[in-house]
Amino acid sequence: MLSLALRRSFATVPVLLGVSFVVFAALHLAPGDAARTILGYGATEERVQALRAELGLDRPLLIQFGDWLWALLQGDLGRSISLGVPVSDIILDKIWASLLLMGASFALTAVFGLLFAALAGGAHRTVRDRLVTISMLVLASLPPFWLGIVLLFVFGLQLRLLPISGVGIMEESATILDIARHLVLPAVTTAASSLAVVARVTRSFFIDAMGEPYVLAARARGLSETRIVTVEAMRNVLPAFVTIAGLQIGYLFGSALFSEIVFNWPGIGLQLYQAILQRDFPVVQGCVLAIAVVFVIGNLIADLLAIALDPRRRG
Amino acid sequence: MIDCLRNTVVLARRSLLAGAATLALATLAPAPQAMADDTTLTIGIEADLARLDPHISTTWNTFKALLHIYEGFVAEDLLATGVTTPPLVPSLAESWEISDDKTVYTFKLRQGVTFHDGEPWNAEAAKFNLDRMTNPDFEFHQPGAVGMLQWVWGDLESYEVIDEYTFRITLKQPNSEFLRRLSAGGSGTPRMISPAAVREFGNDGINANPVGTGPFKFGEREVGVQTVLVKNEAYWDPERSPKLERIVLRGIPEVTTRELGLLTGELDMISTPSPDSLEYLEAQGITLVKGPVSTIYPIWLNFREEPLQDVRVRRAMAMAIDREGMTKYLRRGTAQPAYGILNFGGPGWDPDYRDFPYDPEAAKALLAEAGYPDGFETRLDWTMGGGGDVNTRADAEWIQRDLGRIGIRATIETFDNGTYWDMLAQGIREGSCCMQVSWGETSFFWLDLILPTSALPPNGFNSGYYENPKMAELLAAARAAPTEEEMVSLLHQIRDIVTEDVAFIPVYTPLQVYAMRPNVKGFVLAPQHWADYTSVFKE
Repeated sequence: MLSLALRRSFATVPVLLGVSFVVFAALHLAPGDAARTILGYGATEERVQALRAELGLDRPLLIQFGDWLWALLQGDLGRSISLGVPVSDIILDKIWASLLLMGASFALTAVFGLLFAALAGGAHRTVRDRLVTISMLVLASLPPFWLGIVLLFVFGLQLRLLPISGVGIMEESATILDIARHLVLPAVTTAASSLAVVARVTRSFFIDAMGEPYVLAARARGLSETRIVTVEAMRNVLPAFVTIAGLQIGYLFGSALFSEIVFNWPGIGLQLYQAILQRDFPVVQGCVLAIAVVFVIGNLIADLLAIALDPRRRG
Repeated sequence: MIDCLRNTVVLARRSLLAGAATLALATLAPAPQAMADDTTLTIGIEADLARLDPHISTTWNTFKALLHIYEGFVAEDLLATGVTTPPLVPSLAESWEISDDKTVYTFKLRQGVTFHDGEPWNAEAAKFNLDRMTNPDFEFHQPGAVGMLQWVWGDLESYEVIDEYTFRITLKQPNSEFLRRLSAGGSGTPRMISPAAVREFGNDGINANPVGTGPFKFGEREVGVQTVLVKNEAYWDPERSPKLERIVLRGIPEVTTRELGLLTGELDMISTPSPDSLEYLEAQGITLVKGPVSTIYPIWLNFREEPLQDVRVRRAMAMAIDREGMTKYLRRGTAQPAYGILNFGGPGWDPDYRDFPYDPEAAKALLAEAGYPDGFETRLDWTMGGGGDVNTRADAEWIQRDLGRIGIRATIETFDNGTYWDMLAQGIREGSCCMQVSWGETSFFWLDLILPTSALPPNGFNSGYYENPKMAELLAAARAAPTEEEMVSLLHQIRDIVTEDVAFIPVYTPLQVYAMRPNVKGFVLAPQHWADYTSVFKE
């Protein structure tokens, strides 16, 4: 198991390298240039060329990428053009807010995805099953930027139950409760469609499992339906469920980008959005790398967990 | 065994219920007013601030904070009412003398002013800042400042310390707008930083530790979240001593979130609500303050596209666009039509000037006369907009429809603002007739960047390849004009030629809109991209 974990971990290195290079290349091939951005549009072409040479922007792309990578290995992600502060400071500052949002959304996705799947799949072709299925279809169809604004309107403005934006201003006095209150709506918005997808797919695993002979045997032994679903069928559904839930990490990142903007949640997504608008390439590069790392690690954990849960896959 | 399991399930159920109850309680707890005290003003702006070094500052939003932290020799009085351009007033210079040939400015500096770190303001501090902005050999030279402040220091010959409170600046040639440019803000601004702070924190460190002489001091900043300014108790001008203890500037790009934050009281004031929300906000008791700003949205026309090489085609396009309808129905009263290239608030702006009448029939006839009775196909390259722009895509659709009515079939392609400015810097691409950005200032330096042939891409923003040699001549003459009247008269000549050549189609001047809760008082809307918050207080 340990050697498998190590092998999988090493396999993530080329993935991260590939992602970094694609982003690096895309940013450098896009129109515009850092030297011009730094010097301003009033600068003469001569000065721009001089700064390009000073920054090494006139060298081949691969060499520039090598330099960036070498600096990265020393923990240096460069300096933000628009903010004038080190990129690593910004990322370290923002990553916690993002991880908090991701963690909460993922927990909602996994817990409620599994719960709804068991409710529906454990009672195939009943009213309950149909109700859950239809609800999940609706949930899966709600785009996060729309859902977020509707939730804000209802819970933030009409009912005044929850705050509109941010993580909890006034950091010193922020309690866990404050942060939780700020977290509810963004987490629900981020999780909504992934939760529905997980519930629908896992439901079908439950339906399959419920048709298996061991379920029939369990029924013959007089076990309650609840126990059959939550213990007997669950044991066989879990590995597939973990894989499906793990795959959602990527989608959650996509949704989180929208929720971070709508709820002004100060995470990596909001920073990335503002950095793109301001053409702040070092920050864009750093944010994408941070997202890729979290994505890859999340999937790695899901993979290993699925293998741990399913003896057949330990090869 | 089964009992044991059952117990576990029951326990699990109970803790789930307990969890749900806690969550419900958390939800029902009264929402704390983010900034309940009445000496703190929380403002929701369109984007987080960029770097806080004034010599290389970039966005108009950032200057909303910088103007309260840093000051220069002269300032625009943003608290003046009933003006189209804020009047110039002394700031860190108490008075000045200008030589007869208008090239030597001798500033008498204000005495007894200290920077927020206690460092005294004097001629040495002025020299330190001039060195930082313009002298490449200076230890603390800021390389970015050279390009960004070209429009201020372009005519600089030399500067010297005369005595502790006298500082002299000599120009190579007269510049009729020199004082105005010294006062201005936005991208690159010649404001004074504490030399001690630059020495202590280094050139880059100023972004995180800005130290000036202004009415507010830098408090703290959480990048991407908020910047807090704190009242400067030792401010030199009692008339502008802040009524508030703290200002919190929160960058919130999503307009709906800004509006909801204002409605719930998380924010006291927001800039640029959506035009479609104004009626709703007003009905909820929100105070709206509207007024024009020194900005214009002109359309650059591409002289390299074959049909547009004929002035009749360009004129037909200008006459086809219903600017009044656009400001009334699309912008819902948050804009006024712009006529002529001189922007509202800038020198020479004339409220009575008119350029092209809206007349689609005549435009169609003109197009036929030019050999395009069936119109032609082209493309509008458009921007999603930056900080203060609202739904610019809708403008493109309005123009597309208007052009369609005279037979010009245009498609629209939209780009993010950064890419768009780079495209503009490279010149309008083949196949596209038009580009549009918001521009304009209280000085006319921006015309130097869009009109003369010296500004043809990639050296400036004469992005439609408008080649009229008279422009450079007239602009130079306007800069060197000995009196304001002569400068204005030359600017009017420039405006009339640009109209005659139909090099640009001016579209509208936006009204900037601030929305605030009813207890926010004392706000003065300046005809500028930013406002002075020293007069604001909460009831």
